Amino acid sequence: MDLVKHVRYFVAVTEERHFGRAAARLGMAQPSLSQRIQRLERELGVRLFDRTSRGVELTEGGRLLLAEARPLIERADTLLGVAARVRSGAAGVLRAAVPPELGSAVVAALVGGFRDGSPGVRLALRELGAGTQLTELRAGTLDVGVLRYPVDVAGLGLGEVLSRPYGVVLPHTPGAGCGPPGAPPPHGGAGGPVGLASLSGLDLVLFPQPSAPALHAEILAVCRRHGFEPGTVIAGQDPEFVDGMVLSGTAVTFATRDRKLPPGTAWHPLEGEPLLEQVSAAWLRGRQDDPVVRLFAEVARSVLTERGGMVPVMETAAARRTTLPGPAYGYTV
Amino acid sequence: MNAPGEGTPRGTGVRSRIRSVFTDAGVTGWMHALDLGDGAEVAVAADTPVSTASVHKLCLAVTVQRFADEGRLDLDEQLESLPGDRTPGPTGLSMLSGPVRMSVRDLLAMALTVSDNAAADLLIDRVGLDAVNDAMRALGLRRTVAVQTMRDLIASIEEDSGGDPARLASDPAVLGRLRVLDPARANRSTPREMTRLLAALWRDEACSAGRARELRAVLGLQVWPHRLASGFPYDDVRVHGKTGTLPTVRNEAGVVEYPDGGRYAVAVFTRSARTAARQPAADAAIGTAARLAVRALRAP
Repeated sequence: MDLVKHVRYFVAVTEERHFGRAAARLGMAQPSLSQRIQRLERELGVRLFDRTSRGVELTEGGRLLLAEARPLIERADTLLGVAARVRSGAAGVLRAAVPPELGSAVVAALVGGFRDGSPGVRLALRELGAGTQLTELRAGTLDVGVLRYPVDVAGLGLGEVLSRPYGVVLPHTPGAGCGPPGAPPPHGGAGGPVGLASLSGLDLVLFPQPSAPALHAEILAVCRRHGFEPGTVIAGQDPEFVDGMVLSGTAVTFATRDRKLPPGTAWHPLEGEPLLEQVSAAWLRGRQDDPVVRLFAEVARSVLTERGGMVPVMETAAARRTTLPGPAYGYTV
Repeated sequence: MNAPGEGTPRGTGVRSRIRSVFTDAGVTGWMHALDLGDGAEVAVAADTPVSTASVHKLCLAVTVQRFADEGRLDLDEQLESLPGDRTPGPTGLSMLSGPVRMSVRDLLAMALTVSDNAAADLLIDRVGLDAVNDAMRALGLRRTVAVQTMRDLIASIEEDSGGDPARLASDPAVLGRLRVLDPARANRSTPREMTRLLAALWRDEACSAGRARELRAVLGLQVWPHRLASGFPYDDVRVHGKTGTLPTVRNEAGVVEYPDGGRYAVAVFTRSARTAARQPAADAAIGTAARLAVRALRAP
């Protein structure tokens, strides 16, 4: 008897609480599933289910065995995953990616930390945007990535989501060219915190919308929610262009604290930390227990925390945001 | 790729335009649109399994009508909903505080027009989930499967979010754990099977003609204008639909009727990258994608 296969059947029936539904999910006929469960019960000498008219209930023995069944399946999946990598010649290499603008110190420490932790495995690291990472993870050409949110995470295993606040980059000289003539300077001196609303009237330089539509929408929604209606949203990515627009005094841009700034500009935190950069390691669920993937995720977590100044997202102001349900949104608990 | 007996695909140009509508709105989308007249279709990943959420109430509605056809249930039958064991939700019986007695026919109207979870669960309890799946199989829909009641679905979200549903909006990792978003573990279908269900309902093949007419009329009374209907802001065009919503999931399946007799079944399923509940652009993308598809189907 193929124990792992039969245990998979067992877990499917417990999850569906119904032989017919479990059979449909497994793509097999119900009588054949029933027979295999009976065979497993004989083999183990334990009755796993009570069959009732409403479906099936786990017996006490079944419950005890279920606790052992899931780890067994996970280990089996890991073994099959490693075997697949050996077959495809990928063993000994971890194909990984990080998003643009994560910071040079973080990238260097990530490569070094991984090398120290896993001398037998070479790290093939690339810089890829979130969209490309998702496509490659799902196609199996990427083992593990670091994703910048928001992204659609369905089907992925995720490391702890870490975050750091975005601030605003402004010209040094308070008031010079900022906002309409005669308006008070939008910030409380160099480096002091700035309210988003005080930026009203200025233009905003932001990465081009098509490169990350969801993040683009998120940033603009937060700006409007906090009273900053940008005059124009200017698409720009090249630091020289972005900094030039800021130096001109007509536009601002958002950046994390570690961004290199040209002379004549300063980084200011935003009051209440309304804008957050959020990242986490991500991998396909089937690779959940791959030790090399886990190592990369752990190194990424510690490097982003120690070098990137990030904290778990649940420790930020975002975690205390209220979400008011509404009927048009269909779902409320 | 066409399923046997299906019509011809139209307009590869429209498919890439629909894809950019989804991308622009920050969502991933899967859709199928079917001309009920000549069987022509527009398909964008239309055979992908999707989590249906409340769109599955369509399957329940058809099942209830078939039960009535078979004499296993009377639409005038009264069912009782008591506040103590009422499935939660933001609309309909779900938000009421006192006991309610209502006919099966009216419970169905509540479940379809305002996506009433409590009304839907009363009906699911009355016919059984298996009967809903049997009815779908009888209509040849092998990939449309219900595995949970609305009650189960809400409980599983609470369980997966560690009893703190507020975390859904602030911690993306929680979303990665939601079983209801996984078509392998939640109520599921495909865009193509949903338009086939609607086609059967519009052709009087899903239940008897009189009951089908009644069901179509109720679907035309759905209250929300922000998804499918937003793509057809014309006073002489009728949009029938059923929405489905979960964290990051926005769906609608329905039929659009033009005054010249053109009838189009459209099923659009989306998942957004952002976790915010209020995303008008994501809702509107459903209507825009549907309009582009219908326009391609109506092109001479």
